[in-house]
Amino acid sequence: MAEPFAQPIVQHIYSLNLGPQHPSTHGVLRVLLDLDGEFIVKADPIVGYGHRGHEKMGENRAYKQFMPNTSRMDYLSGMIYNHGFALAVEKLAGIEVPLRAQYIREIRSELNRISSHLLWFGTYVMDLGGFTPFLYAFDDRENILDILDRVSGSRLTYSYCRFGGVNRDLDPNFVDTTRAFVARLRSRFPDYENMVTKNIIFINRTRDVGVITPELARQYAVTGPNLRACGIAFDTRKTEPYELYDRFDFEVPTGTRGDALDRYYVRMEEMVQSCRIIEQALDQLPDGPYRNTKVPFPLTPPKGEVYFAFESARGQAAYYLVSDGSECPYRCHIRVPSFGNLHVLTEVLRGTLVADAISILGSVDLVIPEIDR
Amino acid sequence: MGDLVGSEWFRLVIGLVIVLAFSQLNALFLVWLERKVAGHIQLRIGPKEVGPFGILQTIVDGIKLVGKELITPLSADRKLFVIAPVLVFMPVLVGFLVLPFGPDLIIRDMNLGVLLIFAFSAFTVLAILAGGWAANNKYALLGAIRSVAQNVAYEIPLLLAALSVVLMVQSMNFGQIVQAQGKIWFIFLQPVAGLIYLICATAETNRAPFDIPEAESELVAGFHTEYSGMRFGLFFLAEYTNMFIVSAVATSLFFGGWHGPFGFALGLPGVVWFLLKTYILIFVIMWVRWTFPRLRFDQLMNFAWKVMIQLALANLIATAAVLKFV
Amino acid sequence: MTKKDELRGRLRALFPEESFGVDEAYRTGVAFSTRVPAERLRDAAEACNETGFYLESITGLDFQDTAELVYHLNCYEPKSRVALRVLLHHDQTLLTLSDIFPSALWLEREVHDFFGISFTEHPDLRPLLLPEDADYHPLQKAFGKVNAYHERKEIYG
Repeated sequence: MAEPFAQPIVQHIYSLNLGPQHPSTHGVLRVLLDLDGEFIVKADPIVGYGHRGHEKMGENRAYKQFMPNTSRMDYLSGMIYNHGFALAVEKLAGIEVPLRAQYIREIRSELNRISSHLLWFGTYVMDLGGFTPFLYAFDDRENILDILDRVSGSRLTYSYCRFGGVNRDLDPNFVDTTRAFVARLRSRFPDYENMVTKNIIFINRTRDVGVITPELARQYAVTGPNLRACGIAFDTRKTEPYELYDRFDFEVPTGTRGDALDRYYVRMEEMVQSCRIIEQALDQLPDGPYRNTKVPFPLTPPKGEVYFAFESARGQAAYYLVSDGSECPYRCHIRVPSFGNLHVLTEVLRGTLVADAISILGSVDLVIPEIDR
Repeated sequence: MGDLVGSEWFRLVIGLVIVLAFSQLNALFLVWLERKVAGHIQLRIGPKEVGPFGILQTIVDGIKLVGKELITPLSADRKLFVIAPVLVFMPVLVGFLVLPFGPDLIIRDMNLGVLLIFAFSAFTVLAILAGGWAANNKYALLGAIRSVAQNVAYEIPLLLAALSVVLMVQSMNFGQIVQAQGKIWFIFLQPVAGLIYLICATAETNRAPFDIPEAESELVAGFHTEYSGMRFGLFFLAEYTNMFIVSAVATSLFFGGWHGPFGFALGLPGVVWFLLKTYILIFVIMWVRWTFPRLRFDQLMNFAWKVMIQLALANLIATAAVLKFV
Repeated sequence: MTKKDELRGRLRALFPEESFGVDEAYRTGVAFSTRVPAERLRDAAEACNETGFYLESITGLDFQDTAELVYHLNCYEPKSRVALRVLLHHDQTLLTLSDIFPSALWLEREVHDFFGISFTEHPDLRPLLLPEDADYHPLQKAFGKVNAYHERKEIYG
């Protein structure tokens, strides 16, 4: 029997360029999606649009000159990166830090963590189409930025830490305004809960969406809230306590399913825990110098290396510094949490809908310039 | 001369002029209202610079839109691309012909008013599909496809809900339907149908939480991604005019049209009651938009096919049974 | 027994001739580091994977006489980071670890970008952070302005 009709060539798979200019890729991320209808067959994130060569810059400038760079990698938790860099160099060079300075840094880092989570909360719900929580979150975040701004003179890129302390002392109102802010934020959580957490549409959009299993998380080096959402209580503040984190009573919230909803719960609970840390730190805040004045200048740490890990708002970040005894590091490598958190999406996005892809991209809380460095 | 003034044609022309003017003004007002409502829900105050309470803001925005260049993508289907925004506005205008603003304020009191308005509102989706297809953009195409699927799905329960009311009045004439609600509005007799109608109407007008076709966080702007200037403006105006129409239809079908509550007019003319109720419904639609996140596409379709249609059918059968046997 | 002790035992059995820099005080941020011959890196990685470690970062160090790759691995226990150090010639290639640790897919791409070290059998060595057509490797000390270019022994003795 002759062939009745020639078979038409049907191409089911087509590709869609999500980004780099797209409302919800949060920075210049481009994801090349191969789609079958609205289902994703393959997702290939393309990064590097914001590559500025921070690591090379780090090799060519003195330790303290690199401080401003650090807050420009993850611009949403700049204070935490400042803090981590100061700690790394202090560890490398063996510099003592006065107790008050440690408290100040830690309070500010936790405030920064809350502000980062608030921004994530707002933008994530906006990705899902709810616009109003975004402005509520920004209203709260603005208060944090005001508090941080009044001490360091900058809203996002603080450059506030110094080796052996901080740039300047707290202003006299700091303790009161911070306490008032924490009280206010606590009173706002029920609002968020009513508006988003209990919302049936929100729950349906996030439950069982973008599940990261513990094994997948380990294979792709996922850290931070994304890892904790799948049930592993791994937090650098607990496993390798730096600064004063071993003095405070706080919990590491974890989820069970590892889906977008759990990641949401974990971040919301982390804000509560950060509030606890801040309150304890404010209670204990001692008087005294805010800076070690005996730090040598120029600073030349002894030969050797240090790998200093700390918990940024997005997960475990680390500085790997190699010193050759001169005033510039021989090698300055930065491990960023978003790197693994984005990489795992190549697996997670497969087989999901485009609408879910946006939900998942938002739920892992990416900051692309951090990956690009 | 007297013949001309009294003739049906004269009435139609005058009506159309008024409708054109009203629909534009209404859209301008609604855009302003939306921004004000959104602002106050979101701890902001919304536009306030241009005119008292910023009421002239949308006019200024309109002027800006008119002044913008109309960009047609090179790979677009030119004819279709240009005609789609016009197409989307036409059926919306037809709807005004049969809306009963007051006892005597109906441009044409047709026997098939309800049918006409739904038939033409279904036409909008064709224009959206044309626009999304002609733009030759994947986002636009995805948005258009979603739009068609959504509209087809939600049209069914929408019509079934309206049909329940039509069954009760035994007429498709808007005037008669409103007159039947002199004492008791149909929302009290047909609460399920009323709710179904409101939900489906929100979906029909592509408003949140059903704004999947233009889900900005996924599809950039959906079917009108490639449109600029006044062509985009027409899509925009059509959306708001559409919102008015579905609210006006809801007012006529379920909320007593020009009647006051429980027969008390309180000395206000019918048209005031009508517009008041319509704008309250519009306000509710806006309120919902600024409160809820968006559904996912498959959830939306499941909701239509698995819940809404069943519910509407059951309601229709129950209505028919009650009318027949009670 | 903690996982880092378990891993140390396994690595000691695999590489009896290598010395283990154990850092009890965790001063350098790693519990122990060991040098691994380039051709047996995959054995070490398998051991790490089976013990439950994850590959946290790969980074290079460029010296006049040699290139060095430092693999940092960690597990979800307190203070258990481990460093594997591989010495290479500048133009030597390594077998990829991406089938053992999928995270190496991108980490190796990044190292390839910045240091020009090639990984054989890597499925996709396109530049990750650099432009698609980049033919330079900016973190090599020969590239651009550099502050210092040492031999390895000047730093590590």
